[in-house]
Amino acid sequence: MVKIDSITVDIIENALKNIKEEMDVTLFRSAMSPVIREQHDCFPMITDPEGKMVVGNFGSHVPEVVNQFEEGIHEGDVIFVSDPYSTGGSISHINDWMIILPIFHQNEIVGYSSMFGHVMDVGGPVPSSMPVTATTIFGEGVRFPPVKLYDKGVLNESIIKIMKANTRTPLENYSDLMALVASCRTAEKRVKELCERFGTEKYLSALNALLERTNVMMRQLIQNFLPTEPVSFEDYIDDDGLGNGPFKMKLTVWREGDNAYFDWGGTDKQAPGPINYYLSEPMFKMFIGSFLISVFDPAINFNDGFYEVLHIKTPEGSLMRPKAPAALGCRTHALSRLFDVLSGALSINTPENSPAAGYGTSPYFIYSGYDDEGRYFNLMEVMYGGLPGRPIGDGIDGHSWWPAFVNIPTEYLETYYPLLVNSYKTGTDSGGAGLNRGGNCNEKLYTILAEGTVSIHDDRSIIQPWGINGGEPGSSSSKMLIKKDGTRIPLPSKVDNVEVEKGDQILFITGGSGGWGDPLEREVERVRLDVARGLVSVEKAAQSYGVLFTDHLEVDQAKTEETRAKMKLERGKLESFNFGNREKVVQ
Amino acid sequence: MYRVAVDVGGTFTDIVLQNEESGEIYVTKTPSTTKDQSIGLMKGIKKVCEECNVDISEIRSILHGTTVATNAVLEEKGAKVGLITTEGFEQILHVARSWTPAPISAWMGFHKPNPLADLIYTRGAKERMTAKGDVYLELDETDIRHKIIELYEAGVESLTISLLNSYANSSHEERIKEIAESINPDIPVTISNDILPEFREYERTLTTVMNAYVRPPMQRYLTNIEKKLLDEKIDSRISIVRSDGGLMSIPAASSRPVHTMLSGPSGGVTASAMIGIQTGFRNVISFDMGGTSTDVSLTYDGSPRVSRETKVGVFPVKSPSLEVVSIGAGGGSIAHVPLTGALRVGPQSAGSEPGPASYDRGGEEPAVTDANVVLGYLPPSLVGGEMKLNVDKAKDAVRKVADKLEIDIYKAAKGIYDIVNENMYGATRVVSVEKGYDPREFSLLALGGAGPLHANALGKLSGSFPVIIPPTAGVLSALGFLQSVIRNEYSKTFIYTLSQLDVSTVVSELKGLGEECDHWLNQEAVPEEQRTVKYEVDVRYYRQGHEIPIEVQLSKIEENGLELISNQFGDIHEQTYGFKMDAEVEIVNIRAVAVGKVNSPEIPVNEAGTEDASHAIMDPDHQAYFEERFVKTPIYDRALLQPANKVIGPAIISQKDSTTLVLPGYFAEVDQHMNLLIQEEV
Repeated sequence: MVKIDSITVDIIENALKNIKEEMDVTLFRSAMSPVIREQHDCFPMITDPEGKMVVGNFGSHVPEVVNQFEEGIHEGDVIFVSDPYSTGGSISHINDWMIILPIFHQNEIVGYSSMFGHVMDVGGPVPSSMPVTATTIFGEGVRFPPVKLYDKGVLNESIIKIMKANTRTPLENYSDLMALVASCRTAEKRVKELCERFGTEKYLSALNALLERTNVMMRQLIQNFLPTEPVSFEDYIDDDGLGNGPFKMKLTVWREGDNAYFDWGGTDKQAPGPINYYLSEPMFKMFIGSFLISVFDPAINFNDGFYEVLHIKTPEGSLMRPKAPAALGCRTHALSRLFDVLSGALSINTPENSPAAGYGTSPYFIYSGYDDEGRYFNLMEVMYGGLPGRPIGDGIDGHSWWPAFVNIPTEYLETYYPLLVNSYKTGTDSGGAGLNRGGNCNEKLYTILAEGTVSIHDDRSIIQPWGINGGEPGSSSSKMLIKKDGTRIPLPSKVDNVEVEKGDQILFITGGSGGWGDPLEREVERVRLDVARGLVSVEKAAQSYGVLFTDHLEVDQAKTEETRAKMKLERGKLESFNFGNREKVVQ
Repeated sequence: MYRVAVDVGGTFTDIVLQNEESGEIYVTKTPSTTKDQSIGLMKGIKKVCEECNVDISEIRSILHGTTVATNAVLEEKGAKVGLITTEGFEQILHVARSWTPAPISAWMGFHKPNPLADLIYTRGAKERMTAKGDVYLELDETDIRHKIIELYEAGVESLTISLLNSYANSSHEERIKEIAESINPDIPVTISNDILPEFREYERTLTTVMNAYVRPPMQRYLTNIEKKLLDEKIDSRISIVRSDGGLMSIPAASSRPVHTMLSGPSGGVTASAMIGIQTGFRNVISFDMGGTSTDVSLTYDGSPRVSRETKVGVFPVKSPSLEVVSIGAGGGSIAHVPLTGALRVGPQSAGSEPGPASYDRGGEEPAVTDANVVLGYLPPSLVGGEMKLNVDKAKDAVRKVADKLEIDIYKAAKGIYDIVNENMYGATRVVSVEKGYDPREFSLLALGGAGPLHANALGKLSGSFPVIIPPTAGVLSALGFLQSVIRNEYSKTFIYTLSQLDVSTVVSELKGLGEECDHWLNQEAVPEEQRTVKYEVDVRYYRQGHEIPIEVQLSKIEENGLELISNQFGDIHEQTYGFKMDAEVEIVNIRAVAVGKVNSPEIPVNEAGTEDASHAIMDPDHQAYFEERFVKTPIYDRALLQPANKVIGPAIISQKDSTTLVLPGYFAEVDQHMNLLIQEEV
């Protein structure tokens, strides 16, 4: 390794960040899947020659994958993979298609670029390929183990043929696959330019320096913020779609010196249904890093450099480390609940720094059939909900917990799919009360305009998202099929292939989120504005905030003061966590 | 007779006066008056007239770039806006696109600004159109009348109507407007189909609401100007510069102020295109480096790129503008060393108060300007400068980061200089490589006071030569206004796959928009021979997310059919993304662009001198820091340089409003328009 000055390292870091952005831009502009393109469900990465992530959002998987090619990796190879079990869980369900591209400069490997994105359909019995009734991964569609899509620059046409024959959306998938390759090629070109500009040796030394920096920073964060005594936190997933549950997720955290330990012992056994989440260790380390950074020092850029200081224990056969061939299609519930558990565990000693719990999953609305002109359609829409009350302010109403995702415009939906959206708003009172209010859920009412089927994925329909520091829990999610004759049929949060007719309606309500801090301390004016804006009802203002109004929605100051004083006196001491109905449900 | 261009910036108002007969220009500056920009404007016009001995009545036209609308949004000082949406979608601005930033968990620190129309003043109309433009639910007029009265009683000053699918059928929007005007004709009403008849309801609503939000302050401002001109008995035509570099009349600017959001920056882009054409380098990347930010834009073959979405603060506004990418790095950006031991520059800025440490006005943190002072790139006393720079203060400030990095202050200063260049290089890539352009086929043009100090280094990074430093880099936006044309565009969403369409439908739809252009050009009194109308279609593969605009000629489509469009699209797709597909191509939007040329006299050229530039040397012994040591770097006076003079780097060329750095191994040559062209010595 050549010695390298720290400023060159900074310059190379900036350049790598720019390359990552450019990868996204290339993909968004040329992909067909609205989940990638309109909702940005995709993740770019650039690694060093050993496969350690230097920039990216989600943690590296490269070593596990490339080691499976006995003949080795050559210039011009492009690896394609969609199998969670042969990638150590680095992609978590088979709809995520991943491309890995080795980058060679002057015949020497200088790293990998990789990108994965959620494609619309990969076959199996249910459109969009995430059946909630799957009991093994074989019931979820077609898996690609790591294969060379390009072998030394030559496209393997057979893979394309097999791929196209096994999906309801062959053209879209082909376009998405090529867009993923295009995105990785962009990174390849730019990394080679960097090697040209700085010299390969200098470039590689800079990557090492970047990894080392993050390592040093993470050791400091661990020492400053993690407890030496083990602390545990639990949260639950309602059910697995097959009538089993609730499922407990339990995490215990402690540190020894500047090393940290995260133990999933006590987590329930794997589920018969597809809610299992094969947790990749590097991915989980990334989540921890990302969470600590956001809470304690958002300015820092992170990479794989800190992995050796984090130690993960995940029991085999548990919900978080299921045995093959367990079904994995609906893993987003466990994936996002993981953050509630992590946040809870890390905040037990310092709850004032941490947010409450949110809508806690990635709800999907899936609708497919044939339109009036006989064309097949398949819509998969990612829905959002309440973001938790936070130390810096209110939780955001009806927004995405997932980074950089966006909703699909109603005018886009109505142009391309036989449906009409009757209303799209956030649910009054669904965010838990707090000094900083929890975010409200989303409520969307669709009218179906063509015979077809609807599938739904959601969670937090039974157990509420918890509040923190005196904040109240948020509301649960719910779904309703309203037949055209007016009959109302409640639907479960996880259901496949509900038959719908022209004129039927679907009401899709996601989870709210917990509040942060004592609601009785919330400034009266903030409560008044929430009420005037229709985000909180007059009744809830009285009940949870002790704020009373006159007939013209003006605050009755005297009555409010009196009520608040009385409520404070009567309620006793506030707990750090308010789990709402959980105790009743779990027993 | 004379023309005068006025660009109101954050600190200074720039004024350029041009003699319409000789084409000669004269430049001056006056402090901006942020509270009422028209005061600075009048002062500036009077100042330039006095300095040039021109009678104020000889000014025939005033071209004005303004930040009134932008500031109203950024400072949250717009009108109290009422919003009428389709019932069920009242929270359209509240839910927005549900976006939160990356990476995972970053929502914890995300500050979401309040919508420009409060939910308290939003009402839903009982009505519904389908995506095809059919009435699904008739408008309930009694209900909406009642709701509008309610909003007006609550003190709403400006009303917006934006209904779902109104781009396909705007009759309900128009009817509600009639009702609102029958209730109170004095409250301005903006409907979304007038401002942006394109699909995607959030962006359309936001753009319409923003228009309504800035309309009252803009109207007040324009009335002020007209009154002041009248008081001074100035009888000149005043035109406002649009974000897309075009000009519009005062009545047009009063009703559609959202088109002026990037009024100022567009002038710089227009000027860059003009200088590119003048110097024979028609592909230009220009960068305007100011105190807190740098704007980068690209001109290909003499025409700047027009973008249809821009950002004002965090709001994505759909209004045509010359494409400018802005990053938070400028002369005032502050360097710091966080926990990781990395050297970071920005996004915090020293601003104009207290300013960089070397300004000696109380600033103590090391800004980019301070690094330039320490390195000797920015001489402590500037030509005609009213201000001396304090070298010791600059050194003290830079020492703060040098100590943390355990290096000497010169290395640290060079690091700051290099990193800010790298950040700007990132922005030049966004406008070039990410759009399929190779920056090595472009020249690089520096604008703004700080740009010329960094231009040579940036050109070296991007491989863009020659680097062009125009004579008046500091007031280039105002200079660009002089080159502006009268411009407007009419578009509509028109979603069909090519197989669903025949040639005559497409042509007649486009012609319909062309007629609107003609009508507008009549209103703006543009003579027949100075008009052009261009046609564009935005196309993509069926259900793909992003459209690519393609210019079409009606006669060629009529001759060759719609295949022309799909072939052209396939080629562009392949060039940009590396593949094309055998998939259906669909049209999303169609558009006609009206351009009225304005007579703009040529700026006169200068007599050529010789290569020898020694007569312009002010300080032959000045030292500056390159490659880990100080070397002799003479300072030249730009005012004394003549065409054909050649300045060998390392050198510093100093002028009233900016300083140019020529690196070792490079030379600068003066062309007949007095531009400096920097090239590599071979």
